[in-house]
Amino acid sequence: MADNTNQDSNDTVETDGGVAGQAGQAHRNTDYLGSEVNLLNPSTPFMRDHLRVVWTGFIIWVLAVFGPVTLTYLATDAMTTQMPVLGFPLHYFLVAFGAPTSALILSFWYSRKRDALDEKYGIDHKTVEEAGRGSEAAATDGGVDE
Amino acid sequence: MTGVPIVPLQESLLPESLNISFKLLPAILVLGMLGLFLAIGFVFRVADTEDMWVAGRSIGNVENGMAIGANWMSAASYLGMAASIALAGFYGLVFVVGWTTGYFILLIFLAAQLRRFGKYTAPDFVGDRFNSDTARAIAAVTTFLIGFVYAIGQAKGMALVGLYVFGDYGGIIPGLDGYQVMVVFMMAITVGYLTLSGMLGATKNQAVQYVILISAFLLGLFVVGYTNGYSTVLPQMEYGMLISELGSEFSEPFVTSSYYLWIATTFSLIVGTCGLPHVLVRFYTVESERTARWSTVWGLFFICLLYWSAPAFAAFGTDLYSSNVRPTYGDPGMASAASEVIVVLAAQLSNLPQWFVGFVAAGGIAAAIATVAGLFIAGSSAISHDIYTNIVNEDATQRQQILVGRLSIVALGALTTLAALNPASSIAALVGYAFALAGSVLFPMFFIGMWWENANRQGALAGMTTGLVGWSIPMINEIVPTYMSSLEAPLSAGLAQWMPAIGSALITLPIVFAVTIIVSLVTAEPDMETKRVVRQCHSPEPMGQHRTAEDVVTDGGETPADD
Repeated sequence: MADNTNQDSNDTVETDGGVAGQAGQAHRNTDYLGSEVNLLNPSTPFMRDHLRVVWTGFIIWVLAVFGPVTLTYLATDAMTTQMPVLGFPLHYFLVAFGAPTSALILSFWYSRKRDALDEKYGIDHKTVEEAGRGSEAAATDGGVDE
Repeated sequence: MTGVPIVPLQESLLPESLNISFKLLPAILVLGMLGLFLAIGFVFRVADTEDMWVAGRSIGNVENGMAIGANWMSAASYLGMAASIALAGFYGLVFVVGWTTGYFILLIFLAAQLRRFGKYTAPDFVGDRFNSDTARAIAAVTTFLIGFVYAIGQAKGMALVGLYVFGDYGGIIPGLDGYQVMVVFMMAITVGYLTLSGMLGATKNQAVQYVILISAFLLGLFVVGYTNGYSTVLPQMEYGMLISELGSEFSEPFVTSSYYLWIATTFSLIVGTCGLPHVLVRFYTVESERTARWSTVWGLFFICLLYWSAPAFAAFGTDLYSSNVRPTYGDPGMASAASEVIVVLAAQLSNLPQWFVGFVAAGGIAAAIATVAGLFIAGSSAISHDIYTNIVNEDATQRQQILVGRLSIVALGALTTLAALNPASSIAALVGYAFALAGSVLFPMFFIGMWWENANRQGALAGMTTGLVGWSIPMINEIVPTYMSSLEAPLSAGLAQWMPAIGSALITLPIVFAVTIIVSLVTAEPDMETKRVVRQCHSPEPMGQHRTAEDVVTDGGETPADD
């Protein structure tokens, strides 16, 4: 059934013609406006897949951001040793360079994963953007939202 | 106590050892740059509200990424961060971490959903999601307050750099010293350009401003590093060799601050990043939700370029100051006004040509102006769109809305100028207070509102009120007394230790979450239409460029509101 989202996505890479395999069918059969939104209890196959990516990234992010400084607090001597070649004290490097860089790499990773999810579920943003441009442009000159 | 040195009010705000005088070439550079901003603002001037607030929802990946970067990188990033790293050492790195890593949280939890929600301003989200004009008004007041507190730091930065370029005109306006005259002058220019253009002009300008500020900063760093023999091609890595020579104050952990303060400040800056209205509104301006995601990645990359470099600039500046002026640490040490211009000072102490130092200074002004632009647009739209049009005068014409928008920009400018004449803290700390406010009041509403459909009006009102009160307590404890000669800050040392003004969101955020959730649980659930709007924000189904979640819910599918 559509609920089984743990399986590999090998069978879902076909995106031509919108026939996207099981995940794509699950997507078409899902009534997103009828499914509850709850961060801790995802109700659609897409949301479950998406949240798995979100939480994985979040845990790595917590470790990268707060890990080095906590280790420095717990093991100050080991963490403040000078690094070979670069000359930084280790804690300084992990915080000043490691944390921002981890966030950047994670962001890139997440956006790729999210695009891959769209592909798995047979969702194409391009066609709708083009269509939306023509049909909705006229709505902008009226009053501000009511 | 807070780790970030607070400038005593009696001390002169003129940075010593900075070469303050009128310099022709740097002045031409800065004025030319400001003229360019005005010209761009004029060419892209707007007369229509959709353009004014969300740039016609037409902005693409890289351009929005640059706008995110310019919008983000203020005088606090350009000047204040290096200052904090030089003076507060390891604690100064909280700004590097807090102001970059928060973007990942914004990306995974909010960016695309905000694009799908697709309204005009941050208070719009709060008002429409929780169906409450009171909630909208609280969010609008918060937005205005954030713009005000944040912009004080920017005005201070612009004025300090302006002193190097234009010199000391103390006394031209009776009763004001050179720094204060410069605050008035720089703010007048900023407000002038902002009232001409709106968000469209600002977005176009911000891409230009990003290019100017990042090239000024990076070129300055490369040249300073190279001419002094600190570095060759990669100063961002090579300054590591210098650290052991700078004194233990520069890198030793937890000497100027506790581990707790470190965590509290970082946390506060991170959640503040995800709740700042001028950051959130950048996701309303893009063409699609996929653009919202990828422009976040681009924006973070553009931001990292500067944030990898700022600690290197701080290290070079500290060493140059110690060898040319006097030891940076100890008594008397580097004065805080000097540390705030350390980026410019490093270039000056390297004996670089005046026009080049002027170029580095111009980058600082570009950084401050770009951010004030974003803040004032967010603040004025809160007044004009969220309070005036939605609450006071529902039949307002576009002309009236734009007039109110411009008047509120002028009002914000005047208030900021007054407060910046005698700032209570360093640039980075002033900006940090605005982050604590955004993280205490707006971030919880966006996060819970977007990820839990049962959050309701009563919960939001209770949560936001709690957040505002929670933020005010340490502000009254630490900051307000500095403006009153009869009182000494902080009023309570214990409170300042556990709930520091700059990191107060660590305490208030969990309380606000709990209050919002508990009150929502014990009161009635929101109506079905609201829930469906939230669901539409998370649906992977693509939607048109000019559609909002509410449009989709009301015209598509079954009949709405079956309650």
